[in-house]
Amino acid sequence: MNTFLNNFPILAIMILFVGAFVTSLVGRRSALARNGVVLVSMTAALAMMLALVKPVLLDGQIITYWLGNWEPVEGWAFGICLEVDALSLFFGLIVTVAVFVSGVYSFTYMNHDDSLVNYYTLFLMLSGSVLGLVLSGDLFNIFVMVEIMTFTAVALTAFRNTYEGALEGALKYLVVGSLGSTSLLVGIAMLYSQLHTLNLAQISALIPGQGANPVIIAAFAFLFMGFATKAFLFPFQPLAADAHAVAPASISLMISGVLTKCGVYGIIRLCYVLYENLNQPLVQYLVTGFGAVSMFICVTMAFNQHNFKRLLAFHSISQVGYVITAVGLGSALGVSAGLYHAMNHTIFKGLLFLTAGAVQHQTGSLDLDSLGGLSKRMPRTTLLFLIGAASISGLPPFNGFASKWMIYQAAFQRGAATGNFFFLFVCIVALITSVLTLASFIKVAQSVFFGQLPEQYKEVKEVPLAMRIPMWILAVLCIVTGLFPTQVQNYLLLPATSAAFNAANYIDQAMGLGYAAAHGIATGGVAGLMVSDCWNPTSWLMLLFCITCAVAIVALLASPNDLKDAHISSCDEQAEVLDAKYESFFSGEESVYSQVGGSDLFWGFKHNWRKYFSYMHDWHSGIVNDYTLYGVVAIAFVLLACIILL
Amino acid sequence: MNVLLSSLFHVLIFPGLLFCVVMGVLLSGLDRIWVARMQRRVGPPLLQSWYDFLKCCGKETIVPRHAKKAVYFAAPVVGFAALISISLFLPIAGGKPAYSGTADLVVILYLLTLVSVCTIVGASASGSPFAGVGLSREMVAMISYELPFVLVILAVSRAILAPGDSLNNIFSLQAIADYQAANGPLITRWALIPAAIAMLFVIPCEVGMHPFDVAEAETEICEGTLAEYSGPPLAVFRLTHMVKMFIMTALFCVLFLGGITTGIAVLDVILFVLFCLILTFLTMSLPHGACARFKVEQVFKFYWTVVAGLAALSLILVWLGL
Amino acid sequence: MMAVNYIGSFALIALGLYCMVAKHNLIKVIIGMGLVDYGTNLLIVSVGFNPGGTAPIFTIAELTRESFFVDPVPQALTLTSIVIGACMTAMSLSLVIKLREQYGTLDTRKIRRLNG
Repeated sequence: MNTFLNNFPILAIMILFVGAFVTSLVGRRSALARNGVVLVSMTAALAMMLALVKPVLLDGQIITYWLGNWEPVEGWAFGICLEVDALSLFFGLIVTVAVFVSGVYSFTYMNHDDSLVNYYTLFLMLSGSVLGLVLSGDLFNIFVMVEIMTFTAVALTAFRNTYEGALEGALKYLVVGSLGSTSLLVGIAMLYSQLHTLNLAQISALIPGQGANPVIIAAFAFLFMGFATKAFLFPFQPLAADAHAVAPASISLMISGVLTKCGVYGIIRLCYVLYENLNQPLVQYLVTGFGAVSMFICVTMAFNQHNFKRLLAFHSISQVGYVITAVGLGSALGVSAGLYHAMNHTIFKGLLFLTAGAVQHQTGSLDLDSLGGLSKRMPRTTLLFLIGAASISGLPPFNGFASKWMIYQAAFQRGAATGNFFFLFVCIVALITSVLTLASFIKVAQSVFFGQLPEQYKEVKEVPLAMRIPMWILAVLCIVTGLFPTQVQNYLLLPATSAAFNAANYIDQAMGLGYAAAHGIATGGVAGLMVSDCWNPTSWLMLLFCITCAVAIVALLASPNDLKDAHISSCDEQAEVLDAKYESFFSGEESVYSQVGGSDLFWGFKHNWRKYFSYMHDWHSGIVNDYTLYGVVAIAFVLLACIILL
Repeated sequence: MNVLLSSLFHVLIFPGLLFCVVMGVLLSGLDRIWVARMQRRVGPPLLQSWYDFLKCCGKETIVPRHAKKAVYFAAPVVGFAALISISLFLPIAGGKPAYSGTADLVVILYLLTLVSVCTIVGASASGSPFAGVGLSREMVAMISYELPFVLVILAVSRAILAPGDSLNNIFSLQAIADYQAANGPLITRWALIPAAIAMLFVIPCEVGMHPFDVAEAETEICEGTLAEYSGPPLAVFRLTHMVKMFIMTALFCVLFLGGITTGIAVLDVILFVLFCLILTFLTMSLPHGACARFKVEQVFKFYWTVVAGLAALSLILVWLGL
Repeated sequence: MMAVNYIGSFALIALGLYCMVAKHNLIKVIIGMGLVDYGTNLLIVSVGFNPGGTAPIFTIAELTRESFFVDPVPQALTLTSIVIGACMTAMSLSLVIKLREQYGTLDTRKIRRLNG
């Protein structure tokens, strides 16, 4: 193995932390030096992750790095270790790309704010901690990274502390989020008390020998809930909503695109590698159930929202619900569908948050009820928003469709293979959630970008190019990952999925060959994904293009003569007196400003569900004690369910 | 060269552009005549819809002041093209789909969604308040029929699975067609009859036909989504509407009436057209002549209780192996 | 008897959780968070305890197979965890001070502008 590459994981993490340190040193003197340091550390981390793609993803190696060279002695891992397998690297790539985009966006987006040195220091620490989490091979280090992550995320949420509700959102995030951290730590302590090790690989090897040890099972419940909190699964979704709505958009991208992914990574690592217990029906019900409930409740909650970013926040959790649902199915197709959607979620939700940030940056408002008609003033942002909205709603040929399609396949396969109604129900919920997501984004499009422009936004300008470039990066990724699902599967998903199913290799690489076999862990792996080849986006797109051309040509050639005389009239905005024929139709009345939009757009739907909506509105009371109570109840429920039924 | 020619034939003539448009015009014309007869009128000539289309094409296009021009023009064309592309994936008249392996049932579900989304986005971009109300209703109608539609799709996909089958191509239309060719049409399975009835209800709502045309209610919201459209873009929307009648009835034939063949390709196509005509009469003309328009919240309630209930019943039955 | 450390620390955690759920004063909520932290720390340090073990302070030369000492790792973990807990408290208190300036109250029932 290449020893030089071996150092890349630790270097990538260190460079972000060192960057944070250097930023605070030099940043006060010159903004240019500060931005330079940030850019260099982000780019270096990204480049190192990309350099690992070949050995880890393509050649299937696992890179282990023992800090201070404390390698295992006699089968006991004393040292702290970084272990990068395909699964870790998959998330590492997601993280570094998101960090890069968010950082570049910040350079322009944050230019109205002061004390930016603190912002970038915290930002780089957040990035470093997240990268450290996904690359770590040590349970306690995961906890420490989670704590740094929570800290910096809370501080960044409250960064614009004069903004309405910023402090409140941050405090709720901190208080209720501490439940998750505590839950993780308790789980770690319980595991340690039984196994006397913190190394992931060794824990994974030792757990099967413990049999039905209740402490080990309780530890599973605690760890699961700890990661679930970090992914903001139900009932922790109010935290995400509060934090997203008030954080700067670049941080919203980090919270939704990166922090939730840490929770997802943790759950996959926990269920597939550490415990290898996703073949048990109860665990499947538990994980999938949490995912499905989050998915549905959050999408309906989004119907109630008046704030652009708060709405996006609920969708963020709804999409993470999709990921967890797929992961909980316990099949190779499920995991790869989940990973695919996790990646896509980072891309399209990042794009949407950045467009929301662009709107906020130019208009100063995020209120769906007062915005409108911005497509006239910000056409490029509108286009980017439409790409993001089409992706998240799963319209072909964008990436959201490809991954959702795999999730439906996985859920239905699982249901058909077991004859179990639960998985069928999950499949139906996933399909319905998708159309509700679409409805919600139609609402945003109509309320913010289309319709009539309010008087006070007449002078709004398009965002500068420096902010559009990061958005275009994400938009292009949306299209590319959607158009080439087969390549994504072969080069990204299949290695990561195989890594999730091959705990033995993970153990052996850290603890020495034969260690897994000695503890009775069979070598697993996934030969190929059972994906039907019934979706071919590139052919479809070519067909669509052909048909569009055909329609155009036929219309031009075969049209009656008077078509050629028909002309398109559009109004001249600069004209002194506007021609009345260009005004909106008002049944013969004089045209006035009238924007249909805002939070109550889908009255016909909400009317039928008014009891549910008003109940859910009250449930999200905004009182921190209530949220804590929901969290405690959820943890207690999972704990009891695991101990009694496992 | 042959491949290219046959592709062109598929896209342009059968079952692509030309066939779809002809069928759409035919179904829509017949529908208008039938409704007229039910109301004791003579009704327009068969090709009236086509004349309407041509006339619209010759009119001036007025882009309203609040409209976003690019989206205003792109939406109808993309929607229409997406709709035509569906026909290429349907195994029409017992044959193979023109492009097998490119799309399956879930994709078609989403392509139909894409067509509706194009209408909605186009309406939204026209900046009219009537269109705003219209698109809100269109979306609610979409949520309404989506649940039963999804349940029907799942029921059919489950019904064709025999124990021990590979689960790789579960939503494949080709698999559904093959199954029916071997075992007779799915409508003969009693467990699927409720699903077929549910699907019959889905058709008019998906097409946006009276009494479920809440989004385009002329008398209340002045054509709703189309309020600000004029000239060729309006013509394309009208054509989309007609072709959708054909696509939806054809989808029903593919799902439930497959496997009825005479062995002669031309006769098969004629039989297929006949089925489409009967379905059009049953699902669109008859309710149109018999009912007044529903309110939007009634549509939602009806579809999520009665129709979804029927489809769910079927799904449970096939899931239990009946 | 083996479970007494679990009972003790979980009792402390439960007390802290009760405080977080039932008390409407933000300062008390943060005290609750502190209690939960202490309970967790107690749990970690207690799982490393070996009855009769000595303090784990040896040089490499003194370390033999027969050495019997309490597990040092949980102590290191506890130390880290205490530090993190202290930071958490400091951070939340500073947020509370700012909140008090903006909202003029410490009552959680009145700090709910973000809801629904």
